[in-house]
Formats: sequence, structure tokens, C-alpha cells
Amino acid sequence: MTNSPAIEVLDLQRSFGDTKAVQGVSFEVRQGEIFSLLGPNGAGKTTTISMLSCLLRPDGGDAQVMGHSIREDPMGVKSVLGFVPQEIALYEDLTARENLTFWGKMYGLRGGALKARVEEVLDVIGLRDRAKERVGKYSGGMKRRVNIGVALLHKPQIIYMDEPTVGIDPQSRRNIVDSVVTLKDQGMTVLYTTHYMEEAQELSDQIGIMDHGKMIASGTHDQLVKLVGGQTRIDLTLNMEAGAVLEDWRAVEGVTQVSAEDGLVTVLVDDSNAVLPRLFDVTNRLAARITSVDILEPNLEAVFLHLTGRALRD
Amino acid sequence: MKALDIALKDMTRSFRSFFAIVFMFVVPLLVTGMFYFMFGNMANDGGFNLPKTQVIIANLDQGGPKFQVNPKNIPGGRDADTMGELIVNILESDEIAELIEVSFAPDAGAARAAVDTQVSQVAIIIPPDFSEQFADQDGEAVIEFYQDPTLTIGPGIIRSIMNRFMDGMAGVKIAVNVFQDEADSSDYAMTGLVVQGYLDTSLALREDPEEDLLDVRAPSSAPQSEEQESQNLLLSIISPIMGGMMIFYAFFTGASTAQSILKEEEERTLPRLFTTPTSQTTILSGKLLAVFLTVLVQVIVLILAARLIFGIQWGDFLSVALVAVGIVFSASSFGVFVNSFLKNTKQGGVLFGGVLTVTGMLGMISIFAIGSPAASQMGDTVSLLVPQGWAVRGLMQSMSGEPVSDLLVTTLVLLVWSAAFFTIGVWRFNRRYA
Repeated sequence: MTNSPAIEVLDLQRSFGDTKAVQGVSFEVRQGEIFSLLGPNGAGKTTTISMLSCLLRPDGGDAQVMGHSIREDPMGVKSVLGFVPQEIALYEDLTARENLTFWGKMYGLRGGALKARVEEVLDVIGLRDRAKERVGKYSGGMKRRVNIGVALLHKPQIIYMDEPTVGIDPQSRRNIVDSVVTLKDQGMTVLYTTHYMEEAQELSDQIGIMDHGKMIASGTHDQLVKLVGGQTRIDLTLNMEAGAVLEDWRAVEGVTQVSAEDGLVTVLVDDSNAVLPRLFDVTNRLAARITSVDILEPNLEAVFLHLTGRALRD
Repeated sequence: MKALDIALKDMTRSFRSFFAIVFMFVVPLLVTGMFYFMFGNMANDGGFNLPKTQVIIANLDQGGPKFQVNPKNIPGGRDADTMGELIVNILESDEIAELIEVSFAPDAGAARAAVDTQVSQVAIIIPPDFSEQFADQDGEAVIEFYQDPTLTIGPGIIRSIMNRFMDGMAGVKIAVNVFQDEADSSDYAMTGLVVQGYLDTSLALREDPEEDLLDVRAPSSAPQSEEQESQNLLLSIISPIMGGMMIFYAFFTGASTAQSILKEEEERTLPRLFTTPTSQTTILSGKLLAVFLTVLVQVIVLILAARLIFGIQWGDFLSVALVAVGIVFSASSFGVFVNSFLKNTKQGGVLFGGVLTVTGMLGMISIFAIGSPAASQMGDTVSLLVPQGWAVRGLMQSMSGEPVSDLLVTTLVLLVWSAAFFTIGVWRFNRRYA
């Protein structure tokens, strides 16, 4: 990792009709680091990454990608980045090798160099043995691997990955997360969008939290956790409607925030050992019963809750 | 180079599609093949020969002015001393012997009775004063045509022959009248000479009565065997059908291949292409090149396959090449044009079911109307409202050996259509992805 920036984003804006999808987003990604854009669906992550890959033209602001402006030099930007879209974007009626060969040509590779690189990438994604099969016959996880392989063909300096683990099984997700770490180890800069807190936490050197088209916080994991003052999160379920206890729990000493969603009550506290018995007392007085308790140390979920008052869920 | 890569990728995808192969090559050849076997079997079995119409003639004509028609101008080369004999000779001539079988009745009653008892289908009764009335300035020469009312085709043919003969004779009658205005009405000898002269002229112009009924074309002037004639007749039927099928499905191919732009947008591969260092112009050029090359391959394969399988004579190389260029450009640009108005591939059903089918059918009206001269003329006009009609016109011109200059005009019109479609289509797609 170096201190020179790979991506500098300044006041990026984009609207669709009356909807402001991205509102003045700014951040910086240093070379060789993994930067995750974390946020719920509709937060503006994909719109941001689409502008940074020159798929969408910003209404305002600009970004420099390895020194190329997304407004002034889109071809320069495209030549230094590899893009892994959220959906599988492959030709299902072509084989994996044919897909990689075609996309390699689109990145300007030719002849022997192309052929050699295609074989290298097939090795990287572990599909050399099945390279002659049409992609349409692959499992979802295998398609994801080819989808990533395409973005690696021209050995880009930067790779964008737009929610690459959406809708796949845990094993394939694990493979993808591991491959991102490998890419970082090879010196590649990765801009990664996700709404899975665990992925962002595990992978990222820097994390930007987005909500409603705005960057509401950014920094390292530790920096972000400090925003919630090191508070512990307690998830509880009750044998009755959560609404009946919320007001009383908010009044409990040591409780800083209470929210409820889909029957799960999330409470932020300074000291879980001290607060939990008080919560049980209050609950008993209300003739309710706590049916489950889950204590979570300070994390990004808590940060999001702290910043937005909502849980980081779909 | 990248445009060609995109085009080759698209073509690979197209030609791997079973559905596309069937519609591009199999269906046009299959439809033509069905017609080929249907009409081919009929030709081989003598299916084109209608059953002979039984005609009974009561020739009661007692003659009028003496005249002698030149035998070489009478079908069968026989003498005719009266108008009645002339009609009999025509109906007994070898040229229409395959269509009718003639027998004779001694009087009108016997002739009508033969029709009433269904021994014959048509009775032609020539009255005793037929020649006399014909030569008389104020006379009215009338033949009685008595037919079985339940039959249409056979009697229709005989009626047609008689009408054409009588039309010719009407001209002679006018000449006789004019002559008699100037000469002595009793000068039968002179009247005969005039009648003879006009008959010679009139009959010489219609040596083959059958030719007026059947429009049989043959590419070679060399004498042909019955089998060759049958084959030529078969080709005259299936060649336009094959040409029409080729054009109809070439336009379908143009539209479905151009639809790959929308399909790639939905499959998200088009946005991904836009993230590579490849310009939008190159990407769209590649897509359009794919449409053009796919239709080109289809047209070439169909032309060659139809030549080899059915023996279709498309015309000389230059003519066929000109028409093929026109078809390929118009079909591919039309596909781009129509697709540029679609939001997604789901709307393609409307495109294929509606626009392409309707314009395709309009374009082929002239082919379907070949058997009916009046409808054919109207069909020719209507079909030129759509590019498919011009393509059909070009193919017909090439197949009938019309001069290249005529074909150039048709090809030029097709290219103008193409330029308009292409410009609008590309403009709309560029705007869409800008």
C-alpha cells in the first residue's frame, strides 16, 4: 500500500429524475488498499461505482482514477480498471474460454499474450478443466468466478467489485472474499461495494458508509467503531409485540439507543453486564418475557444504527 | 478490429442457436420444398393436364360468300369454306386437342340432348345462316353455347376460346361492313376476298389459341422435352416462392440479430462492454456489422442451397449480386431501425408478429397475385410501399433476365431505404446509450 491515491472522488452527484441517487459524495482510495462502500440497498453505492467506471456521467463533481478524470478521460479510466458487475455479465452460449478470449480482446489483448493470459486467468479462477463448457451450464458460483476472471484479464491497477457476493451460497462467497484478499496481496487496489457488514469488516482497509446517496462516515474499522463510543449492541426478542417495551427500555439507565425491526429489538448500551439485569427487571414489570439475547461487541452494524437510527438490513 | 471481434462473437452466438438456424435456413427451404414436392408430383403425374372437355358441335352453317382461308393460318392446316367450318377446324386443332374432345351432332336438338344426358359438357350450335349473317352488313351472326350448368372449368375454357375467336371475327365483320358500304352488296366474290384477307391476318396473329389461355414461360428457345417443360413450369411456380421466403426470413433475421443490442443490455453484457476501453461507436459498429454479416451469410446460403436443391435460376451473377446486396442492406438496416424503437426484448413479440409479418406479407403480395393479372398489377404497386416489395421486385427482375440497368434502379431504391433506416436506427441507439 502506498500513500498516493488511486481514486480521488470529489463531490460526486447524480440524479434520476427527481431522485437524488448520489449527493455530493467524496472519498479517497489509496493504491493497494481495499475500500468498501457499505450501505443498504438504494444507498447509492452502485450509482457511485457506475460513475467511477464511466458507465454513468455525473451531474456534478469529478473523480480521478489513477490520474484520469472520469469526465475528461473516460477511456484512460477504463484502461486501468477492471469491473465486476453485480449481475453475471457473460455470454452464456459461449464457453468460459471463449468468454475470456472475447473480453480480453475488448481490453486490447491480442495473439499469444491474450492466449497465455486467458489460460492464467482460468487457473486463477480454477476452471481450466471446464473451460470448454458453455457458461450457461455452470453453477452460480462458477459463473461468479468467470465474472471476476473477466475483470482480471488485462491485469488492471484497480478493480471495482459491485456486490459480487449477492445471492450466492456461503462457500462461493467465501471463495470470492478470499480471492479479493489475494488480489490485494498482489498489489491491486479494490473498490468493493456491499451491504454485508461482515464482508466490509473482514476485507477493508477503509470503509465508507453510504445512506440515501450520501457518504455518512468513512475511515478504518476502528475509527468508525469509535463513532459509537465503543458501545455494545444487544439484540433481543420478546414473547410479545416489541412496541410495548420500547419506551420503558429507553428510560433504563445505561441505554443510549433502542430500535425495533421485524420483532428484533436492538439496544445500544455502554456496559452490557450492568444494563442487562435492568432490562430483565423492566420487562418483568411489564409482564413480558425476553426469549433470546444476543450480545455483540461494537461493530459496523452498530455504527450504522448510531448514525442513521436504522439497522443495516435490506 | 474490435468491431469485427464483436461481430464475430455475435455471429457465433447466432449460429449456435438452434432456433435461429431453423428460421434462417430450414424454414425458407422447407416451405419451398413443400411447394416443390406438391407441384413437382403434380407435374410428374400429369397433374397439370385438366381432364378433356367433351364438346359436341352441330355445324348447320350453309355458307355465305365464297372464301378460302389460307390453310396455313388455320389451326390444323385444313381448308374452311364457311365460317362454321372455320370454327370447327379451330376446335379440332392439335393445339387444343389436350383440352377438348370434339364430336358432332346432326342437329341442334341432338347437340343439346347430349349435354342434357351429360354425354357432352358443352354444345356449340352454329346456325344455318351463320356465314350469311356474318357477311351481311345488317346481319347478326350468333353461335349458341349450351353447357352443363354444374361444370365451370371445362366449359369456361371453351367459352374463353370462342370469345377470343369471336373478338377477332368482330374486327373482320367491321371490315366487311365498311367494304359493303363502298361496294355492291351482292358482290359476294369481293366480300369473300375481304373476309379471307382479314381472316388470314387475324388468324396469323393468333396461331396458337392455347397460348392465350396459359402463360407458359421457358428460359430456352431450344425445343424441350415434356419433362423439361414440366420442370420449367414447376420452377416458374417455386422460384418466386423461394425468393419471397428468402426475403421474408432475411428481414426476420435482420430484426432478430439487431435485437441482440437490446438482449445484451438486458443480460448486462452491453453495460460491461461500455466499461472496457472500447468506444461506443466501435461497440455499436460491431453489433451492426454482425447484423449485416449474418443476413449476408443467410442470403448467400439460401441462394446457393435453392440453386442446388431446387435448381432455381436466380439470373446472371451480376444481377443476383446486385439484388443480394440490396436485400442484405435493407434487411439489416430495417432490423436496426425497428429495434431502435423497442424498450426491451419483450416488445420483440409485437415486432415479429406485427411489423415484420405485415410488411413481409405486403412485400410478397406480387408473388401471391402472380396467377391473377389484375391482382398482380395492384399487388406490384402495393408491395412497393415496403422495402420487402422492392427486394421481391429485384429478384423477379433478376430471374426474368431484365437488364442490369433496371436492376440498378431497384437496388438503388433499396439502398436509399437502407440509408434512411440505418441513419434513424443508429441515431436512436446512439442517443439511447449516450
